[in-house]
Amino acid sequence: MDIGSLALALGLVLAVYAVVMSLVGVLRRRRDLIASAEHASYAVWGLTVIAVAHLLQLLVTHDFNVEYVASYSSSTLPLNYTITALWGGQQGSLLFWLLILTSITAVVLLQNRESNRDLMPYVTAVLMVISVFFLLMLNFITPPFQRLAFTPAEGRDLNPLLQNYWMQIHPPSLYLGYVGCAVPFAFAMAALITGKLGDIWIRTTRRWTLFAWFFLTLGNLFGAEWAYLVLGWGGYWAWDPVENAAFMPWLTCTALLHSVMIQEKKNMLKVWNMVLVILTFLLTIFGTFLTRSGVISSVHSFTESGLGPFFMGFLALMSAISIGLLIWRLPMLKSENELDSLISRESAFLFNNLVLVGIAFAVFWGTVFPVISEAVRGVKITVGPPFFNKVNAPLGLMLLFLTGVGPLIAWRRAGWKSIQRNLVPPLAVGLLSGVLLILGGMRSYWALISFPTGVFVLAGIVMEYYRGVRARQAVMGENPLRALIRLIGKNRRRYGGYIIHVGVVMAFFAITGTSLFKQEKQITLSEGQSFSMGGYTLQYQGIEQQSTPHIDYLRADVAVLENGKKIDTLKPEKRFYKKPQQPTTEVAIRSTLGADLYMVLGSFDQDTKLATLQVYINPLVSFLWYGGLVMAFGTAIVIWPGGVKSRQPAYVSRRVGERVVAD
Amino acid sequence: MTRKKRFLIGAALLVGAVTYLVYAGVRESAVYYLTIDEFLHKKDTLVDEGVRVAGRVKDGSVEKKTSTNGTELEFVLTDFKKTGGVKVFYTGILPDMFAEGRDVIVEGKYARDGVLRAQTVMTSCPSKYEAKATNPKAGGGSS
Repeated sequence: MDIGSLALALGLVLAVYAVVMSLVGVLRRRRDLIASAEHASYAVWGLTVIAVAHLLQLLVTHDFNVEYVASYSSSTLPLNYTITALWGGQQGSLLFWLLILTSITAVVLLQNRESNRDLMPYVTAVLMVISVFFLLMLNFITPPFQRLAFTPAEGRDLNPLLQNYWMQIHPPSLYLGYVGCAVPFAFAMAALITGKLGDIWIRTTRRWTLFAWFFLTLGNLFGAEWAYLVLGWGGYWAWDPVENAAFMPWLTCTALLHSVMIQEKKNMLKVWNMVLVILTFLLTIFGTFLTRSGVISSVHSFTESGLGPFFMGFLALMSAISIGLLIWRLPMLKSENELDSLISRESAFLFNNLVLVGIAFAVFWGTVFPVISEAVRGVKITVGPPFFNKVNAPLGLMLLFLTGVGPLIAWRRAGWKSIQRNLVPPLAVGLLSGVLLILGGMRSYWALISFPTGVFVLAGIVMEYYRGVRARQAVMGENPLRALIRLIGKNRRRYGGYIIHVGVVMAFFAITGTSLFKQEKQITLSEGQSFSMGGYTLQYQGIEQQSTPHIDYLRADVAVLENGKKIDTLKPEKRFYKKPQQPTTEVAIRSTLGADLYMVLGSFDQDTKLATLQVYINPLVSFLWYGGLVMAFGTAIVIWPGGVKSRQPAYVSRRVGERVVAD
Repeated sequence: MTRKKRFLIGAALLVGAVTYLVYAGVRESAVYYLTIDEFLHKKDTLVDEGVRVAGRVKDGSVEKKTSTNGTELEFVLTDFKKTGGVKVFYTGILPDMFAEGRDVIVEGKYARDGVLRAQTVMTSCPSKYEAKATNPKAGGGSS
């Protein structure tokens, strides 16, 4: 038996032990058993590390007798891709999931050595139940260390489409996001079981929720970037089930991050928050299931792999337990406050939540529709991207508007005076931008809603920063830059959040630009011919061919001219991988802030020497990537360790004006 | 209480809007998803309907013409026993994994003249491709 298999088998035993012992320990009030369960959990982490290290060793040493190594790597595969082949296939990616889960479990246990002792046994039990589930799969359904009856001379290699930088970092970030959502879930379950339903569990897991959200955001963006660069169809998002799987938990997690603020401030929405935590967690499992089982593409593969029913069973079990617990504790989750007014921040947050969950529901419905229609009506009916775009465009714009309203509107009840002071100025700026766009010749209705709404959100944020800085300057006499830095430092959650909103607006601009103003052209050219598009003249200058042991290349040489002057050369490629004999497309992009010139070499005919190019102009697409960076930066500000609270007292006692600024 | 009611009305409106959008969206963009067998079985009822058909590209059936008008492609989408099939016309860039003998999904309209005019030709995406690759018995990997 392999060391890896042994580690996984032992891991399963210890994980089951940890679940049982922490429950028995808490019921019998036996600290020694609880401690033993925690030690077992650390041991499961250690064993998972051993299994992962072993699989890595097999990959790097090209042991093709191991089915996984033979299926997802080859002797000519570069080292970095050989390592990332760890999550290139089914078994490896599930093992990698387990590695992240057990690592996070270990960190949570370490963090709470001295705190939350009443909750921790249940937290341990819940997290280890999830580990048990993955360990069961790895031991019995998709064992990663399966050996072949013979040793192939060469591996079948990693799918060329996955041999890409973004595919190296996309799965880890997505999995970190997925698994991060398990922590708030575990604490929520512990709170429900113990009946300690105050906001302790929310405060304890706030950073984890942010952590999960951060990586879900990055995971989605990296995936989009990969699709944009590798798939070569000119876009970054196709509403593929696999994409939706990553998008849905992001939506509910975003809703959760907002609604917990209401619980912290007003002791409201306790049930709703529970629902969101549970929903987010179930969606992460569902997402893994969707990606791994291929249930949507065909029901066939679902039953074949054996993974599908197992996942469904786990999902059903977790739903039953969590919803059961929630219903049981419903009487204890009564809201301590009521909504004061429809025109208030609470209400704006609530509607933001409803819209986010509404979008998640629409995406879910569209994703599982083929399966449902087949089950109900016997015909498989799919809904494509048009469905998702039609449904989500209005909802998304509503969300964007609420993004602007939420932070500006007063708590409890916003009177006309506060609306005039806080909402009217940015609304006026937004409207003004709309007028300017119309004068500038823009006639698309959607764009005339989207851009001004985005400007409104930005104007509100700028106004908030400006007012904050001015207040500090007035009270403390700081220079503007210092005041700005202090302002953020004193209330990172709020001002970091605003920065995240700026990123969101940028993403909306990008989505608007690419969905409404994209240009596309397919053209077949002989050497020397040129054509013009989007203000550029593009001249096809010929083809280069190159061959390496791993790949054959076909590279078109296209000169980009602007106003008769050559400004760039684009070289879109076709690659022919040799192990799994498969061509891939390498797009060539000239990226500017305004628009991307995106070029694909469609085909090259060796006889006629004609090359077919597919060319796209993607306006504002860079805003998506930069918006993502801004969102990540904002999240980093919010999440950065070291609380404001610990430093605040000194200032509060020294400077009375602080409160005004910080609140 | 009235405040609560007002909020509930707002929420109900929103839920209604989402429901309507989903309903209308499905109505407008629903496409029949058929396997090639199902399609061949009832293709006469599907004239001018939007369809998405999963089948296999018949060996030796692909004809490609590259002219300055672009690449025109013609192939036969066949069932797995290779008994029947439907002719497919397609103009545009082919996905990288398109080849004879591969499983593809064709989305388009079936016309009275017996030709399926494709708007898109899809091959399985990488994560689904894995499922195929883990089946080492089939094909022997030589072709």
